[in-house]
Amino acid sequence: MCGIAGVIYKDKKTHPVGEALTAMLESLQHRGPDSAGYAIYGSLNFPDNYYQLNVEVKRKRGALDNLKSLLTQVSPIFEEQLIESVGDSDVYKCKILLDEYSLLPSFIREIDELENIRVINGSHSFEMIKDTGKVKDIAERFNVQSRMGTHGIGHTRFATESGVDRYHAHPYQSYIIPDITVVHNGQITNYWKIRDPLERKGHTFESFNDTECIVHYMADKLNQGYKLEEALDQAVIDLDGPFSILVGTPNGIGIAKDKLGLRPGVMVETDEIFAIASEEMALHDVIDSNQIEQIAPGETRAYTI
Amino acid sequence: MKEYVIDAKNMDEKELNRTIKEQAISHDKLIIDNPESKHNICAGLTEDVDIEINGSAGYFVGTMVNGPRIHINGNAGWFAGDNMTEGELVIEGTAGDGAGQGIYGGTVIVKGSTGSRTGEIMKGGTVIIGGNSGFMTGLLMMGGKLIILGDVTDDVGESIMRGSIFVLGNVKSLGKNAVMEECTPEDQKELKEILTEYGFELTDTDYTNFKKIVNIQ
Repeated sequence: MCGIAGVIYKDKKTHPVGEALTAMLESLQHRGPDSAGYAIYGSLNFPDNYYQLNVEVKRKRGALDNLKSLLTQVSPIFEEQLIESVGDSDVYKCKILLDEYSLLPSFIREIDELENIRVINGSHSFEMIKDTGKVKDIAERFNVQSRMGTHGIGHTRFATESGVDRYHAHPYQSYIIPDITVVHNGQITNYWKIRDPLERKGHTFESFNDTECIVHYMADKLNQGYKLEEALDQAVIDLDGPFSILVGTPNGIGIAKDKLGLRPGVMVETDEIFAIASEEMALHDVIDSNQIEQIAPGETRAYTI
Repeated sequence: MKEYVIDAKNMDEKELNRTIKEQAISHDKLIIDNPESKHNICAGLTEDVDIEINGSAGYFVGTMVNGPRIHINGNAGWFAGDNMTEGELVIEGTAGDGAGQGIYGGTVIVKGSTGSRTGEIMKGGTVIIGGNSGFMTGLLMMGGKLIILGDVTDDVGESIMRGSIFVLGNVKSLGKNAVMEECTPEDQKELKEILTEYGFELTDTDYTNFKKIVNIQ
């Protein structure tokens, strides 16, 4: 199954996006018990070239020290926080400064080579929060309710492939362009047909998860100059299998539904807000409206601010 | 009339359905407040009872029912009325995919529009859609009447075996094994009886404009 949810406020001002998405995802909890995650845009307000890193650190002697040592060779650590989590690891969150965006992906790969360390993500304009377990617990653990933002996407995962761990929780991010994320309900059945051309272009894959494939695909299209709506339309043509994919960018969100409409997607739009979810109950958490639209097979919808 | 009000706000699905089944035995009408789009509401209910749902229902509302008359003052999710054998399900708003899926009897009415595959694998009964219906309406239909007052998109009646689909609006394309044939005066008379019974007000000209879609003989 999996549950997807997205919300964007049309006035471009910050709103309690963390609270809104948490309510939506709690309503969709029954669609996915394994993990949950958020990408909350407009929440960081970092100056140029500052980035937030989320790093999974195993509770092993020296692991965190080794991480900080490597970080400080490249950048001062401006803000840091260690969040206790489940399993054998915690999440270390910090703010760093790089000379330019192109250094971020290679630095993340360098950090990943450290023992007992795995970077969950690095971002400039949005905050990624994802972990295993229930929405309510994750929201409390990471204090999601306090996060303000302009828009965001979220996910509850029912794992049908790949491991159940923090890394495989959605959203997935691509570094082909800055700050693009995807959450997804479904399966991509022509995975290798999509992945091969992207790899030949030099894009790096970290896993065999189909959602990672989608986020690189979308990022590649946006990098070629496609608008979000155009990239989503092309995804409906190129991707096979049952899917509802929800994309987040620094200035918008958008959904694409497979040609046969085999995964759900409903939305509601008013003068103030544009919201998308797997089920109607999640939309009522953010908008008091019965004007629910069914997203048709092969249809795409997007809103940018 | 003996009425009973159920506040579903803090109930999970099983608790809600258990309460509905218990109270349906001794009441004529149940009013369900705060359904919050919960799934499977009234699943398997076999009592002769009126149910009023004040708000939206989730997936499979009224699935496998035999007898109750369910009225939803809101929308419904996927597969509303699935496998109904007898009874009535009226949805004032819109419904998701597969409304009236596989019904054997009874009537499913959606006042607004529906998603894809409306009335798929239905074997009997009547499904009425007041608005538009999506992709593959009447997929693998085996019997009954499917009436759409708005437009339908691609592949209407895909792999239809028996039964009839009546469309007042535009038909984008027919599916395999589907053919459009003349809507006879007898068909029009029957449509008028059914639609009038459920409060749809159409002109006499409207009835002459229905398109009838059946399987290729």
